[in-house]
Amino acid sequence: MGLMVLLIRVSGGDLLDGGVHVDDDADLDTRWCCEVGAAVYPFHHGLKSPISRLSISWSRGNSLRVSVFAAPSSVESVEDDAGGTVVEVKLGGGDGEISDAHWRRIAYGSVSPFALLQSRKNAISSLSKMSMNSSPYDADWWDYIMEYSKDINALLGSQKPASVPVIDDPKSVIVKGEEPTNLKAAWELLEMFYAEKPSHLCLPERLVDWLADFDSLFSGTHPTVHSKLVDFQKELVNLQVVEDNPKYWEVMSSALAVGWLDIVVKMLRLHGSYQLDQLSNRETENGLVEAVAVLISKMPRMRLDQEAGKLGECFKAKPDFVKAREKWRAQINKLDSSAFWFQCAHLQTREGLRSMLQIMLGNANSLCSATCHWIELYISHLLYIRPLTVGLESMYSLAQKSIQLKPMASAHRLMGLIIGILGENTEVVLAECLKGFGPWMVVHAIELLTAGSDHAEMLLLEERPNLGGINIEELHRLVYAQVLSSHPLTWQIAPIYLISCMKHGMVLLQILLSKQPVQHNQLLLKSIEICRLYELHSITANIMKIAGVHHWKHGRKGSGVFWLQQARDEYRLNRIAQQLFDSVGKTISDESFKQWEGLIQLLGSDSKTAGGLEFLHKYRDFKKSLQHVFDGKTTDAARRAVESLISLMKNPSTPQRFYLPLLYDSLKLLNWKDRPLLNVSQTNLLLTKLQDLSLARLRPDFIESELPPQALNSVRLALATNLGRAILEE
Amino acid sequence: MAFAAPETPSRVHRIPQSKYIDAVRWLSPVSALDRFAAVAYYDTDTNSPSIEIICVDPNPQGSSPTLTPQSSWTPPSRISSLKTAHSTHQPILAAATFSGSIHILAPDLINGGTVESEATVSELGFHSGPVSAVDLREGGTECVSVGEDGRVNLVSFVGDSSNLNYRRIFDANGLVGYTAVKWASPSEFATGGYGFGLQWWDQRRPGGPVSQFKGNWCQGKTSGIVHSIDIHPSRKHTCLAGGSSGTVFAWDLRAQQQPIVLSGAGTGEAPISLLSESEVWEVQYDCYTRSSNIGNITSTRILPIMICSEDGILAVIEQGEEPLELLAEPCAINSFDIDQQNPSDVICSLEWESIAILTRS
Repeated sequence: MGLMVLLIRVSGGDLLDGGVHVDDDADLDTRWCCEVGAAVYPFHHGLKSPISRLSISWSRGNSLRVSVFAAPSSVESVEDDAGGTVVEVKLGGGDGEISDAHWRRIAYGSVSPFALLQSRKNAISSLSKMSMNSSPYDADWWDYIMEYSKDINALLGSQKPASVPVIDDPKSVIVKGEEPTNLKAAWELLEMFYAEKPSHLCLPERLVDWLADFDSLFSGTHPTVHSKLVDFQKELVNLQVVEDNPKYWEVMSSALAVGWLDIVVKMLRLHGSYQLDQLSNRETENGLVEAVAVLISKMPRMRLDQEAGKLGECFKAKPDFVKAREKWRAQINKLDSSAFWFQCAHLQTREGLRSMLQIMLGNANSLCSATCHWIELYISHLLYIRPLTVGLESMYSLAQKSIQLKPMASAHRLMGLIIGILGENTEVVLAECLKGFGPWMVVHAIELLTAGSDHAEMLLLEERPNLGGINIEELHRLVYAQVLSSHPLTWQIAPIYLISCMKHGMVLLQILLSKQPVQHNQLLLKSIEICRLYELHSITANIMKIAGVHHWKHGRKGSGVFWLQQARDEYRLNRIAQQLFDSVGKTISDESFKQWEGLIQLLGSDSKTAGGLEFLHKYRDFKKSLQHVFDGKTTDAARRAVESLISLMKNPSTPQRFYLPLLYDSLKLLNWKDRPLLNVSQTNLLLTKLQDLSLARLRPDFIESELPPQALNSVRLALATNLGRAILEE
Repeated sequence: MAFAAPETPSRVHRIPQSKYIDAVRWLSPVSALDRFAAVAYYDTDTNSPSIEIICVDPNPQGSSPTLTPQSSWTPPSRISSLKTAHSTHQPILAAATFSGSIHILAPDLINGGTVESEATVSELGFHSGPVSAVDLREGGTECVSVGEDGRVNLVSFVGDSSNLNYRRIFDANGLVGYTAVKWASPSEFATGGYGFGLQWWDQRRPGGPVSQFKGNWCQGKTSGIVHSIDIHPSRKHTCLAGGSSGTVFAWDLRAQQQPIVLSGAGTGEAPISLLSESEVWEVQYDCYTRSSNIGNITSTRILPIMICSEDGILAVIEQGEEPLELLAEPCAINSFDIDQQNPSDVICSLEWESIAILTRS
């Protein structure tokens, strides 16, 4: 009861095609769901009565807003039972490996490297436009790309082991570092093939290192050398005589096949013949073990640098490497055919060591049986059979061969990516990035893909009519910007990506900014700040207008007036002025004047930004001078009050409904005892205004001021008396 | 614009939090070893706000500082303003929310930092809409709250009832909105609002602000909102304010209508150093005065101040000198707090869900 299952059919393009199935029994055949590609999201609506109506709409981001309406209960109305409820259902479980918060952290961190690279790109392209013949791909360019790639890589986690133990445990063969992630593994692949300067000579060894770091990632779906090692590590603690255990030899062969030399040598040294009490009677055996260990640690390797503590001898130049390798192989052959093997009494040791020699000699069958999945086999081929493989074409054909020998039981996102990269198929690489790692990956990987390849650049930067005239790069940036925009915390970084989109970026940025909530000043000001950065002045004005009206509607008149003033929206200021005057007429008494003081100060004296509200300013001045008259009764003060009265009455922005209250307030001035304060023309002006007022009162929309009924008559009388006195005086 | 570079670089550590940080404050320590801070979080995934007491270990074995959450308390809605009182035997926090309530919290730092809501004001009519700012009086028996609804309320919590009583000092009925507040003395406080306006209030003279610093002094060119006010205990006549367009100014009550502009929107006279062009979210007097300047500061000079801004600047401004930039982040610095006991340490909340701890050397 109260549980509902939302079934959503998802079509190929990840678009909701509207097929929503609602089942109240939660009794679904999940297998059927998987077959048709549907996702099931159960949720609780908590309603007791039966459901009569359902409404589903998009909420922010990846959420659906499901409104559930209960059927109106006909028999008895239960007070506490709600008539309906609104539930938010979050679609998509996200990446299991990386939490939402971690994704946001990656998104924040990648802003600066991305923006820096874009500005450098722009600088280079404007430079190459000036001097036509210089190539944009100079040495600096590769440094920039590498810097970008390293910055992004650093965000995805460090590869350093958490802590190096002070005392080396001889029985711990694998060091546990930070858990590697598929995302980092994928980025390192891209970096290796696209960002490093095209020196593919060392690629095989780079792949060996890569597998050493990330082989554990395949353990979930495939058997791996890493998982074999982890299993054996658990057994190792309880083993007394390791060399009797066939797994010991099997694991060592496997580790040797994928080139984890230090692990193999460390394990060989666990061999029982090294123990002091046995050294005398197992001398030959120990000599053979040590000989193999030395050969392993002397293995020639074609690589630029060697990490400290790693085994193997490095060669940077091809001829040196070839020579050393021939010599090394000759030593292995010599050992293989030596007579000492007959003197070795321990069968497992003899067999185990000789099969290791076969691996080092590049026996294809040994390699195949020692490795677990095709990438491991591929690596072993690169190490022991074809260490000089150069060029993606030959690397790709070797990979194809490895896949034939060890077919993939199940697809893995990293395997798909490797095949795409080796096959030099940019579309496949992009598709694998998108499918396996989402829009963030695609947007940031495109920078690497286009870095050195003209072909990829052409493909990704070509404008496509079927995409509305934009290129693939822009398409993916727009998609990523949409993802960022849908979250209340990441929307602020979407503009960085939007402005890098030439065609549609600016328009979408304007839409994004216009849709931001304006209720709270902090958020509002953050939006305005982004508008300022991109010089979107009309959007700023619009946002301010929306904010102004919002505050006004919620009774925060001061805030509303401020924002409308900032937006220079005279139309709305005039409109709200009319509403304000209504309350002014009633409340602007002497004691409530302090409330108005602040607003009037805010309005300032600048009539342009104050709209019709400048009347308030003048009205305040008039009231103040009138106050002085009542306090001091000096003629000077009275004269000033008359002046402000006349200027108010002359001003077209003074609403007609204030004519009578103004004059009624000024009765004392009109009937000034000593002498008439208004001259003939001034009195005539006031009389004309009074005439206008009586005409205006005939209109149906006129608002009568709350004055005593005799007010009009007393004003008329006072004006007439004053006119008479003024004429006499003149 | 060239900034003076700090002579000795300070150490900065950024600690990701995976939640948005609305406010951050140091708590006055109860022992010499432990450092505590209060953080107002907002979890966007679950739409839940929280105030957490965290223990700050500034230097565990030479690596970056660690923040260990001690306890958590859930407010009814997001925190709009968080303040602490320092001169109390137990730290006291005043938290204001977007739903218009005020909560007084007294974390027990000795016994695991358990937060208990000592008292709450949330009744209808206290504030309509969000409380925009709150400030605790030193000694911690009263706090003043203001809102854009134009209400100025005084909440006193001397007794031990859990529901506080409040007194309405003023109600501008929304005609004026207040966005910042700071106590100056036991009976006086200052508020700030739109158009860079400031108001001075004295409880002994009720009925409205005693003195007003006229808003819109920059003649409508760039007007803005005051986001934060600070008043130094030894210079009660000077009210320091920071707000929109990188504006930092001081209002000396003795020179009524002439602002002392320290940064940002100038009055057009002298070219004034422009540190930032965006919102200055917080200003505080910086008690970590550099030794060379001690004794140089006369009573008319503004003491050194620290600001943080929307464009990611944390800087120290001294009157008549080049500003000293301490941090330049790629994202906004929304709030900061200088540790009163160790003024070299500054804690900041960054827009990108992280806390930065800066140690000046």
